[in-house]
Amino acid sequence: MIRFSGLGKQYGSVTAVRDLTLEVQPGEVYALLGPNGAGKTTALRCLATLLAPSSGSAAVCGLDVTTSPLEARRRMAFLSSSMGLYGRLSARELVAYFGQLHGLEGAALGARVAEMVELFGIGDFADRLCAKLSTGQRQRVSLARALVHDPPVLVLDEPTLGLDLVSGSATHDFISRERGKGKAVLFSTHQIDEVDLLADRVGVLSRGALAAEGTPAEIMRRAEAPNLARAFLALVGDAPLAEGPRT
Amino acid sequence: MKSAWSVVFVKELKETLRDRRTLLMMVAVPVLLYPVLLIASEQLLLFGQRRLEAERAPVALVGDVPSGLVSIISAGEALSLVPIEASPTEALRSDAVAAVAVLGPPTDAGGTRTVTLFFDAASDRSQRARGELSDALDDWADTLLASRLSGRGLPATFAVPLAVNDSSVALPEEMGGYTLGRILPLLLVVITLLGAFYPAIDLAAGEKERGTLETLLTAPVPASAIVTGKFLTVALIGVVAAALNLGSMLLTFQTGALQVTEALNIEVSIPLWSVAVIFLALVPLAVLFASLFLGLAVRSTSFKEAQNALTPVYMLVLVPAMLPIFPGISFGPLLAITPVAGVSFLFRDVMAGDADALLATLVLASTTLYAAGGLLFAASAFGSERVLFGGGEAADVPRTSWLTRLHSLGREGRVPEPPVALGFVAMLAVLFFYGGVRLQIGLGERVLLLSEWLLLFLPAVLFVTLGRFDAVRTLSLRAPTAGGLAAGVLLVGGALPVVWLVGWLQSFVLPIPWDLLEGLEELMTAGDARRLIWLLVLIALTPALCEEIVFRGVFLGGTRSLEPWRMIVLNGVVFGVFHLSFQTAIRFLPTAMLGSLIAWVVWRTGSIWVGALMHFVNNATLVLMTSTPAVREFMSDPEAPPPLWLIPVGAAMLAAGVRLLPNRTEP
Ligand SMILES: Nc1ncnc2c1ncn2[C@@H]1O[C@H](COP(=O)(O)OP(=O)(O)O)[C@@H](O)[C@H]1O
Ligand SMILES: [Mg+2]
Repeated sequence: MIRFSGLGKQYGSVTAVRDLTLEVQPGEVYALLGPNGAGKTTALRCLATLLAPSSGSAAVCGLDVTTSPLEARRRMAFLSSSMGLYGRLSARELVAYFGQLHGLEGAALGARVAEMVELFGIGDFADRLCAKLSTGQRQRVSLARALVHDPPVLVLDEPTLGLDLVSGSATHDFISRERGKGKAVLFSTHQIDEVDLLADRVGVLSRGALAAEGTPAEIMRRAEAPNLARAFLALVGDAPLAEGPRT
Repeated sequence: MKSAWSVVFVKELKETLRDRRTLLMMVAVPVLLYPVLLIASEQLLLFGQRRLEAERAPVALVGDVPSGLVSIISAGEALSLVPIEASPTEALRSDAVAAVAVLGPPTDAGGTRTVTLFFDAASDRSQRARGELSDALDDWADTLLASRLSGRGLPATFAVPLAVNDSSVALPEEMGGYTLGRILPLLLVVITLLGAFYPAIDLAAGEKERGTLETLLTAPVPASAIVTGKFLTVALIGVVAAALNLGSMLLTFQTGALQVTEALNIEVSIPLWSVAVIFLALVPLAVLFASLFLGLAVRSTSFKEAQNALTPVYMLVLVPAMLPIFPGISFGPLLAITPVAGVSFLFRDVMAGDADALLATLVLASTTLYAAGGLLFAASAFGSERVLFGGGEAADVPRTSWLTRLHSLGREGRVPEPPVALGFVAMLAVLFFYGGVRLQIGLGERVLLLSEWLLLFLPAVLFVTLGRFDAVRTLSLRAPTAGGLAAGVLLVGGALPVVWLVGWLQSFVLPIPWDLLEGLEELMTAGDARRLIWLLVLIALTPALCEEIVFRGVFLGGTRSLEPWRMIVLNGVVFGVFHLSFQTAIRFLPTAMLGSLIAWVVWRTGSIWVGALMHFVNNATLVLMTSTPAVREFMSDPEAPPPLWLIPVGAAMLAAGVRLLPNRTEP
């Protein structure tokens, strides 16, 4: 479903991602774990066709993101960490807008929007402008926006960043539910607990490269650590954590 | 299926119309501008009149007061007569009266009676009273004259041998068009600009700042559809703003509801066809602004940054828009194809009722062309990952040197093609001669300074940034080495005798423009230190920066793909041609030689700074030499050869310069 093959990305002289190879199967949740500045956002943006890889390639459902970007986007939900919503559109209008961009219209569009409003519990504030929503409400609208075309692949960049416990766990529930529907989920995070909670497999990204990959248990075993947090620290131990907040 | 651009367009329009700031700019300002202006000016007028009427100025008559004068004054509304006890001066000082007329003794039938008016020139009230009093005296004098004439049996016209009447050939409606035609084009352009300004920033930089661009670009629609939708929104808002402005203007003036036309003594009637022409020209203008602003705004990462980046452009656009306000500029083909200025002039002529069909076509065609260019510019930005995400994260990337950052402004290594560079310089030459030299006549040194900065430096900077060229490579911005700088100075110094020699040889063939030389000498002679510093700024520093960035910057950078000797000779020749005018054929060869020399050095050192220093040293030497009386004496005869001793000195300097010159050429 999702495949990175030797993907590398450079910004001028900065190498943000190097030789990244990984695969995510249908019904699998894969966590890309790494400290700030590890290259998570860069890798996901390459997959989401926002950035062109400097080397290697990435594919969604067998579609290369560089050669068939529009087709790849149709099969993928992308949630950026900034949760960008249009402040002067209402939640319903926003979801409908993205539905239209995905080619829905007329009755089908109306039905799909109503379904998303229902599914994500947006009903109470569906007609309020997005600028006036709370962070938790915005997150729900964002998810509804990303999933309006019901794609088989979900790409989420730090989906719980800045959320309180309630909204965070709602997001976790959502991810589990999507896994149950057989979707391939790739999400990035720097929080160990949500990896523990959700991920079938985890890839530890350190300075742009994959330092370890496997189930959480395998990673702990390989790093000879009592828990995932220790394993993570051991793996990225000397990585530059002080590069400032990077999202 | 609905096309993607229309989906984007509808959404952007909806969101934009929910923005109070845009509504203000699009509807409130354009519509209310004229009524508010007119009501305000009328109120002001009324207010002023009422104040004057309310107050009768107290005046006094001293001496043998004739009853005829008293009745004229009391019949009028401006003055009231008061008696005074003190002397006129004291009465005025104590503000008891505003003016005093002291009447001399009456004369016999044919004599002249004197009247002295006392007033306070420092007081408005007293000045006005004096004016009124003097009018009353004139009226009285008329009655005296009439009675004298009739006493001798002469008609009243006897003393009026000539009556002069003014008659303007302009029809009242032409007058209206004339006055309006000067202000309206500017207003229309400004309103269109303002209309497009905020939406462009909001739809591009704002979207980046809020992080929505990232999600928008993961929708399965091509970037071109997104730009088109956004661009149509901004352009539409510009057009609507301008159309509303035009409509409000027509209503305000043409209904006469406010009766300003009477007060201003003009009659406005703008025929329907000219409204149509104006509208026709407004559309491509709005397109041009929309695409230009969008393309620029998307390069900024935040609303504020975009505002900072767009404001200078906005100001720059105002300059051509304002040209029709200045009297005496006639509208020709060259102005017609000048961006913005053409539209502005077309509006002026259309409103004055004498638009030229050919010029109108030129304006419409060229503006459409520029608009298309603007669109390409905007589209290229939206297709570029570097533009969209490159800068977005740059804020917390470790600070890089400004050179590296300049590098990243454009596409790395990208320099203009030779024809593009040559075309750019040719365009500047035209701009410089029409915009600069013409303005300079009678306007003096400050304009000279301004035209160098505005017509050479600024366009070069805009060319490199807007063209997304690699600034460091195109402009040879490498830091100079000490050796390079020293070599540069030695080489200009050493070239001086050679240039002199060439000048002398030329004088056998070419006529010497004595007047010009004297004028130049006068211009360059500094009497005191302040003047000297000003001259150094004007004649040495400014050309060293403004001319170098054009010739050894853009032009040299763009011709780098030529063989080196061609590139260097071409540079000198173009530099020489640029400085050519009817009287200065004699300067061509020396200027071209200097240009080639500097081009060679900049090419070898990779540093335009060395070129700027050489240019500065050369020009500063001229100023200093002309300002030093002894040297001037010695050098002022262009028909004399350079002294012999100067030749070996020059040769030695040249040789040393060549030896010192580093070789840091790059392909
Ligand atoms: N637009 C950019 N230009 C230059 N460097 C960037 C840019 N975006 C990210 N980087 C650099 O790439 C590296 C990885 O960043 P990112 O992918 O945002 O990391 P993460 O999402 O894991 O925090 C960092 O060192 C960062 O400074
Ligand atoms: Mg990140």
